[in-house]
Amino acid sequence: MVAPTAEALQTRSVRFRIKRQDRPGRPWRWESFDVPVEPGANVISCLQWIAANPRTIDGRDSNPVAYDAGCLEEVCGACTMLINGQVRQSCSCLIDQYAPRDGDVMRLEPMSKFPVVRDLMVDRQRLFHALTRTKAWVPIDGTYHLGPGPQDTPQSQQVRYKLSECMSCGCCLEACPQYKLEEHESRWDKAFIGAHAISQARLFNEHGTGNVLASDRLETMIGPGGVSDCGNAQNCVKVCPKDIPLTESIAAIGRAVTIHSIRKFFTGK
Amino acid sequence: MASTIAGFLDRHYFLLRRLHSLTGVLPIGVYLFPHLATNSSIVWGKLLNESKLPAGQLESLGIAAHAGVETFQHEVNFIHSLPGLVLIEIGLLWLPIAYHGLLGIYFAGTGRSNVDRYRYQDNWRYTLQRITGYIGVLFIFIHITSLRFGWTYWGLMPAFDPHAAASSTAQHFQQSTLGTTFIAAFYLVCVLALVYHFANGLWTAAITWGLTVSVHAQRRWGYVCGAVGLMLAGATVASVIGFSRLDIDAARQIEQVMRNGPAGAARHVEPGGSAVLSASPDGRDR
Repeated sequence: MVAPTAEALQTRSVRFRIKRQDRPGRPWRWESFDVPVEPGANVISCLQWIAANPRTIDGRDSNPVAYDAGCLEEVCGACTMLINGQVRQSCSCLIDQYAPRDGDVMRLEPMSKFPVVRDLMVDRQRLFHALTRTKAWVPIDGTYHLGPGPQDTPQSQQVRYKLSECMSCGCCLEACPQYKLEEHESRWDKAFIGAHAISQARLFNEHGTGNVLASDRLETMIGPGGVSDCGNAQNCVKVCPKDIPLTESIAAIGRAVTIHSIRKFFTGK
Repeated sequence: MASTIAGFLDRHYFLLRRLHSLTGVLPIGVYLFPHLATNSSIVWGKLLNESKLPAGQLESLGIAAHAGVETFQHEVNFIHSLPGLVLIEIGLLWLPIAYHGLLGIYFAGTGRSNVDRYRYQDNWRYTLQRITGYIGVLFIFIHITSLRFGWTYWGLMPAFDPHAAASSTAQHFQQSTLGTTFIAAFYLVCVLALVYHFANGLWTAAITWGLTVSVHAQRRWGYVCGAVGLMLAGATVASVIGFSRLDIDAARQIEQVMRNGPAGAARHVEPGGSAVLSASPDGRDR
Protein backbone atom coordinates (compact mmCIF):
# COMPACT_ATOMS: atom_id res chain seq x y z
CA MET A 1 0.00 0.00 0.00
CA VAL A 2 1.31 3.44 -0.91
CA ALA A 3 1.21 5.72 2.08
CA PRO A 4 -0.80 8.86 1.31
CA THR A 5 1.07 12.12 1.74
CA ALA A 6 0.59 14.10 4.94
CA GLU A 7 -1.15 16.93 3.05
CA ALA A 8 -3.71 14.56 1.53
CA LEU A 9 -4.43 13.05 4.93
CA GLN A 10 -4.80 16.40 6.66
CA THR A 11 -7.61 17.92 4.71
CA ARG A 12 -9.95 15.04 4.13
CA SER A 13 -13.45 14.19 5.22
CA VAL A 14 -14.51 10.59 5.83
CA ARG A 15 -18.10 9.41 5.78
CA PHE A 16 -19.15 7.16 8.67
CA ARG A 17 -22.12 4.94 7.93
CA ILE A 18 -23.37 3.75 11.30
CA LYS A 19 -25.97 1.11 12.16
CA ARG A 20 -28.10 2.62 14.90
CA GLN A 21 -30.70 1.25 17.28
CA ASP A 22 -32.31 3.29 20.05
CA ARG A 23 -32.75 0.51 22.58
CA PRO A 24 -33.01 -3.30 22.82
CA GLY A 25 -35.70 -4.78 20.62
CA ARG A 26 -36.23 -1.63 18.55
CA PRO A 27 -35.75 -1.60 14.75
CA TRP A 28 -32.34 -0.46 13.51
CA ARG A 29 -31.48 2.13 10.85
CA TRP A 30 -28.43 3.48 9.02
CA GLU A 31 -27.22 7.02 9.70
CA SER A 32 -24.29 8.68 7.96
CA PHE A 33 -22.00 11.42 9.26
CA ASP A 34 -19.20 13.29 7.50
CA VAL A 35 -16.24 13.65 9.82
CA PRO A 36 -13.16 15.84 9.22
CA VAL A 37 -10.34 13.44 9.95
CA GLU A 38 -6.98 14.41 11.40
CA PRO A 39 -3.86 12.30 10.81
CA GLY A 40 -3.62 9.48 13.34
CA ALA A 41 -7.33 9.58 14.14
CA ASN A 42 -9.01 6.35 15.18
CA VAL A 43 -12.65 5.27 15.16
CA ILE A 44 -13.18 6.32 18.77
CA SER A 45 -11.90 9.87 18.18
CA CYS A 46 -14.25 10.12 15.19
CA LEU A 47 -17.17 8.90 17.32
CA GLN A 48 -16.20 11.62 19.83
CA TRP A 49 -16.33 14.21 17.05
CA ILE A 50 -19.78 12.92 16.04
CA ALA A 51 -20.90 13.16 19.68
CA ALA A 52 -19.93 16.86 19.62
CA ASN A 53 -21.49 17.43 16.16
CA PRO A 54 -24.35 14.95 15.82
CA ARG A 55 -25.61 16.13 12.43
CA THR A 56 -26.23 13.60 9.65
CA ILE A 57 -25.23 14.12 6.02
CA ASP A 58 -28.84 15.17 5.31
CA GLY A 59 -28.29 18.09 7.67
CA ARG A 60 -30.67 16.55 10.20
CA ASP A 61 -29.92 16.90 13.90
CA SER A 62 -29.37 13.50 15.46
CA ASN A 63 -28.00 12.41 18.83
CA PRO A 64 -24.56 11.13 19.82
CA VAL A 65 -23.79 7.57 18.77
CA ALA A 66 -23.53 5.31 21.82
CA TYR A 67 -20.43 3.12 22.00
CA ASP A 68 -18.39 1.27 24.58
CA ALA A 69 -14.70 1.97 25.16
CA GLY A 70 -12.25 1.66 28.00
CA CYS A 71 -8.49 1.46 27.74
CA LEU A 72 -8.08 2.93 24.23
CA GLU A 73 -4.98 0.76 23.77
CA GLU A 74 -6.47 -2.58 22.70
CA VAL A 75 -6.21 -4.42 25.98
CA CYS A 76 -9.72 -4.19 27.43
CA GLY A 77 -11.85 -5.38 24.52
CA ALA A 78 -14.78 -3.08 25.31
CA CYS A 79 -14.79 -1.18 22.00
CA THR A 80 -15.08 -4.29 19.77
CA MET A 81 -17.42 -3.72 16.79
CA LEU A 82 -17.78 -4.51 13.10
CA ILE A 83 -15.75 -2.16 10.93
CA ASN A 84 -16.46 -2.54 7.21
CA GLY A 85 -18.09 -5.86 8.11
CA GLN A 86 -15.12 -7.30 9.99
CA VAL A 87 -14.85 -7.58 13.75
CA ARG A 88 -12.04 -5.73 15.55
CA GLN A 89 -11.31 -3.17 18.26
CA SER A 90 -12.28 0.32 17.16
CA CYS A 91 -9.72 2.12 19.35
CA SER A 92 -6.77 0.61 17.47
CA CYS A 93 -8.47 1.07 14.10
CA LEU A 94 -6.63 3.92 12.40
CA ILE A 95 -8.63 5.88 9.84
CA ASP A 96 -5.46 6.53 7.80
CA GLN A 97 -5.28 2.81 7.00
CA TYR A 98 -8.98 2.22 6.38
CA ALA A 99 -10.00 5.46 4.64
CA PRO A 100 -6.91 7.21 3.25
CA ARG A 101 -8.73 9.36 0.67
CA ASP A 102 -11.17 12.22 0.89
CA GLY A 103 -14.75 10.95 0.77
CA ASP A 104 -13.92 7.37 1.73
CA VAL A 105 -16.66 5.55 3.59
CA MET A 106 -16.33 3.51 6.78
CA ARG A 107 -19.15 1.27 7.96
CA LEU A 108 -19.65 0.73 11.69
CA GLU A 109 -22.00 -1.91 13.11
CA PRO A 110 -22.44 -3.42 16.56
CA MET A 111 -21.35 -7.05 17.03
CA SER A 112 -24.11 -9.38 15.83
CA LYS A 113 -23.65 -12.20 18.35
CA PHE A 114 -24.57 -10.14 21.41
CA PRO A 115 -27.78 -8.23 22.20
CA VAL A 116 -27.58 -4.56 21.27
CA VAL A 117 -27.98 -2.13 24.17
CA ARG A 118 -27.91 0.95 21.99
CA ASP A 119 -26.20 1.83 18.67
CA LEU A 120 -22.70 0.27 18.75
CA MET A 121 -22.94 -0.84 22.38
CA VAL A 122 -23.67 -4.51 23.05
CA ASP A 123 -24.18 -6.58 26.19
CA ARG A 124 -21.36 -9.16 26.39
CA GLN A 125 -22.66 -10.75 29.60
CA ARG A 126 -22.86 -14.22 27.99
CA LEU A 127 -19.12 -14.08 27.31
CA PHE A 128 -18.37 -13.57 31.00
CA HIS A 129 -20.98 -16.15 31.96
CA ALA A 130 -18.94 -18.62 29.88
CA LEU A 131 -15.85 -17.81 31.96
CA THR A 132 -17.85 -18.56 35.11
CA ARG A 133 -18.98 -21.89 33.64
CA THR A 134 -15.36 -22.66 32.81
CA LYS A 135 -14.19 -21.71 36.33
CA ALA A 136 -11.53 -19.59 34.67
CA TRP A 137 -9.68 -18.77 37.88
CA VAL A 138 -7.10 -20.15 40.31
CA PRO A 139 -8.83 -21.17 43.56
CA ILE A 140 -6.74 -19.76 46.40
CA ASP A 141 -9.43 -18.57 48.82
CA GLY A 142 -9.45 -20.55 52.05
CA THR A 143 -9.26 -20.42 55.82
CA TYR A 144 -5.50 -20.85 56.04
CA HIS A 145 -2.36 -19.75 54.23
CA LEU A 146 -1.64 -22.08 51.30
CA GLY A 147 2.05 -21.21 51.04
CA PRO A 148 3.91 -20.69 47.78
CA GLY A 149 2.54 -22.25 44.61
CA PRO A 150 4.31 -25.03 42.71
CA GLN A 151 7.39 -24.24 40.65
CA ASP A 152 6.86 -23.74 36.94
CA THR A 153 9.16 -24.07 33.94
CA PRO A 154 9.83 -21.10 31.66
CA GLN A 155 8.55 -23.20 28.72
CA SER A 156 5.19 -23.77 30.39
CA GLN A 157 5.04 -20.09 31.33
CA GLN A 158 5.59 -19.14 27.69
CA VAL A 159 2.61 -21.20 26.57
CA ARG A 160 0.36 -19.84 29.30
CA TYR A 161 1.48 -16.24 28.89
CA LYS A 162 0.15 -16.17 25.32
CA LEU A 163 -3.17 -17.67 26.44
CA SER A 164 -3.38 -15.16 29.31
CA GLU A 165 -3.40 -12.26 26.85
CA CYS A 166 -7.08 -12.92 26.12
CA MET A 167 -9.06 -9.75 26.89
CA SER A 168 -12.51 -11.32 26.43
CA CYS A 169 -13.27 -8.96 23.54
CA GLY A 170 -15.52 -11.37 21.65
CA CYS A 171 -13.85 -11.24 18.20
CA CYS A 172 -13.50 -15.05 18.10
CA LEU A 173 -17.20 -15.43 18.92
CA GLU A 174 -18.37 -12.85 16.39
CA ALA A 175 -16.48 -14.58 13.55
CA CYS A 176 -17.50 -18.11 14.61
CA PRO A 177 -20.20 -19.76 12.44
CA GLN A 178 -21.11 -22.05 15.34
CA TYR A 179 -21.68 -19.18 17.82
CA LYS A 180 -25.08 -17.60 17.48
CA LEU A 181 -26.93 -14.79 19.19
CA GLU A 182 -28.70 -16.03 22.33
CA GLU A 183 -30.74 -13.26 23.91
CA HIS A 184 -32.05 -15.29 26.82
CA GLU A 185 -29.83 -16.27 29.71
CA SER A 186 -31.65 -19.60 30.05
CA ARG A 187 -30.02 -20.74 26.81
CA TRP A 188 -26.46 -19.79 27.73
CA ASP A 189 -25.60 -23.02 29.53
CA LYS A 190 -26.36 -25.14 26.48
CA ALA A 191 -25.37 -22.91 23.59
CA PHE A 192 -21.79 -23.03 22.32
CA ILE A 193 -19.38 -21.73 24.94
CA GLY A 194 -16.93 -20.34 22.36
CA ALA A 195 -13.21 -20.39 21.61
CA HIS A 196 -12.20 -17.88 24.29
CA ALA A 197 -13.60 -20.01 27.15
CA ILE A 198 -12.09 -23.21 25.73
CA SER A 199 -8.71 -21.48 25.61
CA GLN A 200 -9.15 -20.23 29.19
CA ALA A 201 -9.96 -23.78 30.31
CA ARG A 202 -6.61 -24.81 28.84
CA LEU A 203 -4.83 -21.85 30.49
CA PHE A 204 -6.09 -22.69 33.98
CA ASN A 205 -5.83 -26.47 33.55
CA GLU A 206 -2.15 -26.04 32.76
CA HIS A 207 -1.63 -23.83 35.80
CA GLY A 208 0.03 -25.63 38.72
CA THR A 209 -2.61 -24.53 41.23
CA GLY A 210 -5.49 -23.91 38.83
CA ASN A 211 -5.51 -27.54 37.74
CA VAL A 212 -7.25 -28.68 40.93
CA LEU A 213 -10.42 -27.66 39.08
CA ALA A 214 -9.35 -29.38 35.85
CA SER A 215 -12.01 -32.09 35.85
CA ASP A 216 -14.75 -29.53 36.63
CA ARG A 217 -13.65 -27.56 33.58
CA LEU A 218 -13.52 -30.65 31.40
CA GLU A 219 -17.02 -31.64 32.52
CA THR A 220 -18.23 -28.28 31.21
CA MET A 221 -16.31 -28.89 27.97
CA ILE A 222 -17.86 -32.35 27.55
CA GLY A 223 -21.45 -31.19 27.93
CA PRO A 224 -23.83 -29.55 25.46
CA GLY A 225 -22.30 -26.35 24.12
CA GLY A 226 -18.82 -27.56 25.01
CA VAL A 227 -15.81 -28.21 22.82
CA SER A 228 -17.76 -30.72 20.67
CA ASP A 229 -19.77 -27.83 19.22
CA CYS A 230 -16.68 -26.46 17.50
CA GLY A 231 -17.03 -26.90 13.72
CA ASN A 232 -13.33 -26.30 12.91
CA ALA A 233 -13.96 -23.31 10.66
CA GLN A 234 -10.92 -21.76 12.44
CA ASN A 235 -12.11 -18.17 11.93
CA CYS A 236 -11.46 -17.51 15.64
CA VAL A 237 -7.69 -17.74 15.38
CA LYS A 238 -7.62 -15.49 12.30
CA VAL A 239 -9.59 -12.62 13.85
CA CYS A 240 -8.00 -12.80 17.33
CA PRO A 241 -6.33 -9.40 17.88
CA LYS A 242 -3.88 -11.00 20.33
CA ASP A 243 -2.89 -13.88 18.00
CA ILE A 244 -3.82 -16.40 20.69
CA PRO A 245 -3.48 -19.97 19.28
CA LEU A 246 -7.19 -20.66 19.81
CA THR A 247 -7.33 -23.65 17.44
CA GLU A 248 -4.45 -25.27 19.30
CA SER A 249 -6.32 -24.70 22.56
CA ILE A 250 -9.42 -26.31 21.07
CA ALA A 251 -7.39 -29.36 19.98
CA ALA A 252 -5.63 -29.50 23.37
CA ILE A 253 -8.98 -29.48 25.18
CA GLY A 254 -10.21 -32.08 22.65
CA ARG A 255 -7.31 -34.29 23.70
CA ALA A 256 -7.95 -33.58 27.39
CA VAL A 257 -11.63 -34.55 27.18
CA THR A 258 -10.77 -37.70 25.21
CA ILE A 259 -8.46 -38.81 28.03
CA HIS A 260 -10.84 -37.53 30.72
CA SER A 261 -13.79 -39.48 29.31
CA ILE A 262 -11.81 -42.71 28.97
CA ARG A 263 -10.51 -42.33 32.53
CA LYS A 264 -14.03 -41.59 33.74
CA PHE A 265 -15.39 -44.66 31.93
CA PHE A 266 -12.98 -46.99 33.69
CA THR A 267 -12.46 -45.35 37.08
CA GLY A 268 -14.92 -42.56 37.69
CA LYS A 269 -18.62 -42.30 38.43
CA MET B 1 -41.42 -36.16 22.73
CA ALA B 2 -39.17 -33.37 21.57
CA SER B 3 -38.09 -32.66 25.12
CA THR B 4 -37.37 -36.37 25.69
CA ILE B 5 -35.08 -36.41 22.67
CA ALA B 6 -33.43 -33.18 23.81
CA GLY B 7 -32.93 -34.64 27.30
CA PHE B 8 -31.36 -37.77 25.85
CA LEU B 9 -29.07 -35.64 23.69
CA ASP B 10 -28.01 -33.55 26.69
CA ARG B 11 -27.22 -36.52 28.92
CA HIS B 12 -25.17 -38.40 26.33
CA TYR B 13 -23.98 -35.41 24.37
CA PHE B 14 -20.27 -36.18 24.34
CA LEU B 15 -20.74 -39.87 23.51
CA LEU B 16 -23.14 -39.09 20.67
CA ARG B 17 -20.80 -36.44 19.24
CA ARG B 18 -17.77 -38.68 19.40
CA LEU B 19 -19.72 -41.61 17.90
CA HIS B 20 -20.67 -39.28 15.07
CA SER B 21 -17.00 -38.45 14.54
CA LEU B 22 -15.93 -42.09 14.83
CA THR B 23 -18.53 -43.53 12.44
CA GLY B 24 -17.48 -40.99 9.81
CA VAL B 25 -13.99 -42.48 9.79
CA LEU B 26 -14.76 -46.04 10.82
CA PRO B 27 -16.52 -47.81 9.20
CA ILE B 28 -17.96 -45.33 6.67
CA GLY B 29 -14.80 -43.53 5.54
CA VAL B 30 -12.60 -46.60 5.52
CA TYR B 31 -15.27 -48.41 3.48
CA LEU B 32 -14.62 -45.93 0.67
CA PHE B 33 -11.22 -47.57 0.03
CA PRO B 34 -12.42 -51.09 -0.93
CA HIS B 35 -15.55 -49.67 -2.55
CA LEU B 36 -13.76 -47.26 -4.89
CA ALA B 37 -10.87 -49.68 -5.44
CA THR B 38 -13.37 -52.33 -6.60
CA ASN B 39 -15.28 -49.90 -8.79
CA SER B 40 -12.17 -48.52 -10.45
CA SER B 41 -10.98 -52.08 -11.17
CA ILE B 42 -13.15 -51.78 -14.29
CA VAL B 43 -10.30 -49.59 -15.56
CA TRP B 44 -7.20 -51.05 -13.91
CA GLY B 45 -8.38 -54.65 -13.63
CA LYS B 46 -6.99 -55.50 -17.04
CA LEU B 47 -3.56 -54.42 -15.84
CA LEU B 48 -3.59 -57.52 -13.65
CA ASN B 49 -3.49 -59.39 -16.97
CA GLU B 50 -4.73 -62.60 -15.48
CA SER B 51 -7.84 -63.38 -17.47
CA LYS B 52 -9.02 -66.82 -16.43
CA LEU B 53 -11.18 -67.19 -19.50
CA PRO B 54 -10.01 -69.39 -22.37
CA ALA B 55 -8.80 -66.97 -25.00
CA GLY B 56 -10.15 -69.02 -27.87
CA GLN B 57 -13.65 -68.93 -26.44
CA LEU B 58 -13.74 -65.16 -26.36
CA GLU B 59 -12.11 -64.79 -29.74
CA SER B 60 -14.77 -67.01 -31.27
CA LEU B 61 -17.32 -64.57 -29.88
CA GLY B 62 -15.36 -61.69 -31.29
CA ILE B 63 -14.63 -60.10 -27.95
CA ALA B 64 -11.25 -58.96 -26.78
CA ALA B 65 -10.49 -60.37 -23.33
CA HIS B 66 -11.37 -57.69 -20.86
CA ALA B 67 -9.98 -58.49 -17.45
CA GLY B 68 -11.53 -55.32 -16.04
CA VAL B 69 -14.96 -56.90 -16.37
CA GLU B 70 -13.61 -60.14 -14.96
CA THR B 71 -11.90 -58.49 -12.00
CA PHE B 72 -15.02 -56.48 -11.16
CA GLN B 73 -17.28 -59.54 -11.42
CA HIS B 74 -14.79 -61.52 -9.35
CA GLU B 75 -14.84 -58.86 -6.59
CA VAL B 76 -18.64 -58.68 -6.63
CA ASN B 77 -18.82 -62.49 -6.39
CA PHE B 78 -16.49 -62.35 -3.40
CA ILE B 79 -18.67 -59.75 -1.66
CA HIS B 80 -21.81 -61.75 -2.33
CA SER B 81 -20.16 -64.92 -1.00
CA LEU B 82 -19.56 -63.29 2.41
CA PRO B 83 -21.51 -65.09 5.14
CA GLY B 84 -24.32 -63.00 6.64
CA LEU B 85 -23.91 -60.26 4.05
CA VAL B 86 -27.14 -58.52 5.08
CA LEU B 87 -25.99 -58.37 8.70
CA ILE B 88 -22.67 -56.88 7.59
CA GLU B 89 -24.52 -54.36 5.45
CA ILE B 90 -26.88 -53.36 8.25
CA GLY B 91 -24.35 -53.31 11.07
CA LEU B 92 -21.31 -51.87 9.32
CA LEU B 93 -22.90 -49.69 6.66
CA TRP B 94 -26.56 -48.77 6.83
CA LEU B 95 -26.87 -48.11 10.56
CA PRO B 96 -23.60 -46.14 10.85
CA ILE B 97 -24.47 -44.16 7.71
CA ALA B 98 -27.99 -43.42 8.98
CA TYR B 99 -26.59 -42.37 12.36
CA HIS B 100 -23.83 -40.21 10.89
CA GLY B 101 -26.20 -38.69 8.33
CA LEU B 102 -29.08 -37.89 10.67
CA LEU B 103 -26.92 -36.47 13.46
CA GLY B 104 -24.84 -34.68 10.85
CA ILE B 105 -27.91 -32.90 9.50
CA TYR B 106 -28.88 -31.96 13.06
CA PHE B 107 -25.39 -30.68 13.95
CA ALA B 108 -25.00 -28.83 10.66
CA GLY B 109 -28.22 -27.00 11.52
CA THR B 110 -26.58 -25.57 14.67
CA GLY B 111 -24.16 -23.47 12.61
CA ARG B 112 -24.60 -20.61 10.18
CA SER B 113 -21.99 -20.13 7.48
CA ASN B 114 -20.46 -16.66 7.25
CA VAL B 115 -18.11 -16.98 4.26
CA ASP B 116 -19.66 -13.82 2.87
CA ARG B 117 -17.97 -11.82 5.65
CA TYR B 118 -14.96 -13.98 6.52
CA ARG B 119 -13.56 -15.38 3.28
CA TYR B 120 -10.84 -17.54 4.76
CA GLN B 121 -9.94 -20.83 3.10
CA ASP B 122 -10.72 -22.71 6.32
CA ASN B 123 -14.13 -21.05 6.49
CA TRP B 124 -14.90 -22.33 2.98
CA ARG B 125 -13.66 -25.74 4.09
CA TYR B 126 -16.16 -25.62 6.98
CA THR B 127 -19.01 -24.55 4.70
CA LEU B 128 -18.20 -27.15 2.05
CA GLN B 129 -18.12 -29.87 4.72
CA ARG B 130 -21.77 -29.13 5.47
CA ILE B 131 -22.86 -28.81 1.84
CA THR B 132 -21.12 -32.06 0.85
CA GLY B 133 -22.74 -33.71 3.86
CA TYR B 134 -26.22 -32.82 2.60
CA ILE B 135 -25.29 -33.98 -0.92
CA GLY B 136 -23.90 -37.19 0.54
CA VAL B 137 -27.05 -38.08 2.47
CA LEU B 138 -29.20 -37.58 -0.62
CA PHE B 139 -26.78 -39.42 -2.91
CA ILE B 140 -26.23 -42.42 -0.64
CA PHE B 141 -30.00 -42.85 -0.32
CA ILE B 142 -30.43 -42.85 -4.12
CA HIS B 143 -27.32 -45.00 -4.59
CA ILE B 144 -28.36 -47.73 -2.15
CA THR B 145 -32.01 -47.80 -3.17
CA SER B 146 -31.19 -48.00 -6.87
CA LEU B 147 -28.19 -50.30 -6.96
CA ARG B 148 -29.02 -52.43 -3.92
CA PHE B 149 -32.84 -52.49 -3.89
CA GLY B 150 -33.48 -52.05 -7.60
CA TRP B 151 -35.48 -48.82 -7.52
CA THR B 152 -35.14 -47.61 -11.09
CA TYR B 153 -36.54 -44.11 -10.41
CA TRP B 154 -38.81 -44.33 -13.49
CA GLY B 155 -36.04 -45.53 -15.76
CA LEU B 156 -33.61 -42.92 -14.58
CA MET B 157 -31.39 -45.51 -12.94
CA PRO B 158 -31.41 -49.03 -14.43
CA ALA B 159 -30.94 -51.69 -11.75
CA PHE B 160 -27.85 -53.64 -10.74
CA ASP B 161 -27.53 -57.40 -11.19
CA PRO B 162 -24.76 -59.01 -9.10
CA HIS B 163 -24.52 -61.86 -11.61
CA ALA B 164 -23.84 -59.40 -14.40
CA ALA B 165 -22.00 -56.85 -12.28
CA ALA B 166 -20.08 -54.84 -14.86
CA SER B 167 -22.66 -54.89 -17.64
CA SER B 168 -25.57 -53.95 -15.39
CA THR B 169 -23.52 -51.17 -13.77
CA ALA B 170 -22.69 -49.93 -17.26
CA GLN B 171 -26.43 -50.03 -18.06
CA HIS B 172 -27.03 -48.04 -14.89
CA PHE B 173 -24.74 -45.37 -16.35
CA GLN B 174 -25.51 -45.60 -20.05
CA GLN B 175 -29.16 -46.59 -20.38
CA SER B 176 -30.70 -43.90 -18.18
CA THR B 177 -33.53 -41.94 -19.73
CA LEU B 178 -31.47 -38.82 -19.08
CA GLY B 179 -28.40 -40.10 -20.92
CA THR B 180 -24.90 -41.15 -20.01
CA THR B 181 -23.54 -37.64 -19.54
CA PHE B 182 -26.14 -36.78 -16.91
CA ILE B 183 -25.61 -39.92 -14.83
CA ALA B 184 -21.82 -39.67 -15.16
CA ALA B 185 -21.89 -36.03 -14.05
CA PHE B 186 -24.29 -36.88 -11.21
CA TYR B 187 -21.98 -39.61 -9.90
CA LEU B 188 -18.86 -37.51 -10.38
CA VAL B 189 -20.24 -34.55 -8.43
CA CYS B 190 -21.79 -36.63 -5.65
CA VAL B 191 -18.92 -39.07 -5.11
CA LEU B 192 -16.28 -36.33 -5.26
CA ALA B 193 -18.37 -34.43 -2.70
CA LEU B 194 -18.26 -37.49 -0.44
CA VAL B 195 -14.52 -37.93 -0.99
CA TYR B 196 -14.01 -34.30 0.04
CA HIS B 197 -16.30 -34.82 3.03
CA PHE B 198 -14.21 -37.81 4.12
CA ALA B 199 -10.80 -36.21 3.53
CA ASN B 200 -11.78 -33.03 5.39
CA GLY B 201 -13.57 -35.03 8.07
CA LEU B 202 -10.44 -37.11 8.60
CA TRP B 203 -8.50 -33.86 9.08
CA THR B 204 -10.95 -32.34 11.57
CA ALA B 205 -11.44 -35.64 13.41
CA ALA B 206 -7.75 -35.49 14.37
CA ILE B 207 -8.44 -32.11 16.01
CA THR B 208 -11.67 -33.31 17.63
CA TRP B 209 -9.94 -36.29 19.26
CA GLY B 210 -6.87 -34.23 20.11
CA LEU B 211 -4.37 -36.08 17.92
CA THR B 212 -3.12 -32.98 16.09
CA VAL B 213 -2.75 -30.18 18.63
CA SER B 214 -0.10 -27.86 17.17
CA VAL B 215 -0.60 -25.89 13.98
CA HIS B 216 2.38 -27.75 12.49
CA ALA B 217 0.88 -31.13 13.28
CA GLN B 218 -2.42 -30.02 11.77
CA ARG B 219 -0.62 -28.94 8.60
CA ARG B 220 1.29 -32.21 8.31
CA TRP B 221 -1.88 -34.24 8.85
CA GLY B 222 -3.51 -32.02 6.24
CA TYR B 223 -1.02 -33.22 3.63
CA VAL B 224 -1.84 -36.83 4.51
CA CYS B 225 -5.59 -36.20 4.26
CA GLY B 226 -5.09 -34.32 0.99
CA ALA B 227 -3.18 -37.28 -0.47
CA VAL B 228 -5.89 -39.69 0.67
CA GLY B 229 -8.52 -37.45 -0.91
CA LEU B 230 -6.64 -37.17 -4.22
CA MET B 231 -6.20 -40.95 -4.37
CA LEU B 232 -9.90 -41.58 -3.77
CA ALA B 233 -10.82 -38.83 -6.25
CA GLY B 234 -8.64 -40.52 -8.87
CA ALA B 235 -10.42 -43.83 -8.28
CA THR B 236 -13.76 -42.02 -8.53
CA VAL B 237 -12.97 -40.45 -11.89
CA ALA B 238 -11.61 -43.76 -13.22
CA SER B 239 -14.75 -45.63 -12.11
CA VAL B 240 -17.14 -43.14 -13.68
CA ILE B 241 -15.26 -43.01 -16.97
CA GLY B 242 -14.83 -46.79 -17.01
CA PHE B 243 -18.52 -47.59 -16.60
CA SER B 244 -19.69 -44.76 -18.84
CA ARG B 245 -17.65 -46.13 -21.73
CA LEU B 246 -17.85 -49.89 -21.14
CA ASP B 247 -19.11 -52.03 -24.04
CA ILE B 248 -22.20 -53.51 -22.41
CA ASP B 249 -22.67 -56.41 -24.84
CA ALA B 250 -19.06 -57.52 -24.64
CA ALA B 251 -19.14 -57.29 -20.85
CA ARG B 252 -22.30 -59.35 -20.71
CA GLN B 253 -20.78 -62.12 -22.82
CA ILE B 254 -17.70 -62.27 -20.60
CA GLU B 255 -19.99 -62.51 -17.57
CA GLN B 256 -21.92 -65.31 -19.28
CA VAL B 257 -18.72 -67.25 -19.83
CA MET B 258 -17.67 -66.67 -16.20
CA ARG B 259 -21.07 -67.86 -15.00
CA ASN B 260 -21.58 -70.91 -17.20
CA GLY B 261 -18.02 -72.08 -17.79
CA PRO B 262 -16.08 -72.11 -21.06
CA ALA B 263 -19.00 -73.45 -23.10
CA GLY B 264 -21.52 -71.24 -21.37
CA ALA B 265 -21.74 -68.37 -23.76
CA ALA B 266 -22.11 -70.51 -26.85
CA ARG B 267 -24.71 -72.71 -25.20
CA HIS B 268 -26.68 -69.72 -24.07
CA VAL B 269 -26.78 -68.16 -27.51
CA GLU B 270 -28.38 -71.20 -29.10
CA PRO B 271 -32.17 -70.61 -28.79
CA GLY B 272 -32.58 -67.48 -30.84
CA GLY B 273 -29.01 -66.33 -31.12
CA SER B 274 -29.96 -63.10 -29.37
CA ALA B 275 -30.50 -64.17 -25.77
CA VAL B 276 -27.05 -62.96 -24.76
CA LEU B 277 -27.23 -59.66 -26.50
CA SER B 278 -30.74 -58.54 -25.59
CA ALA B 279 -31.65 -57.51 -22.09
CA SER B 280 -34.92 -58.48 -20.50
CA PRO B 281 -37.32 -55.54 -19.89
CA ASP B 282 -36.11 -54.93 -16.33
CA GLY B 283 -32.55 -54.73 -17.51
CA ARG B 284 -31.70 -58.15 -16.09
CA ASP B 285 -30.35 -60.92 -18.19
CA ARG B 286 -31.42 -64.40 -17.15
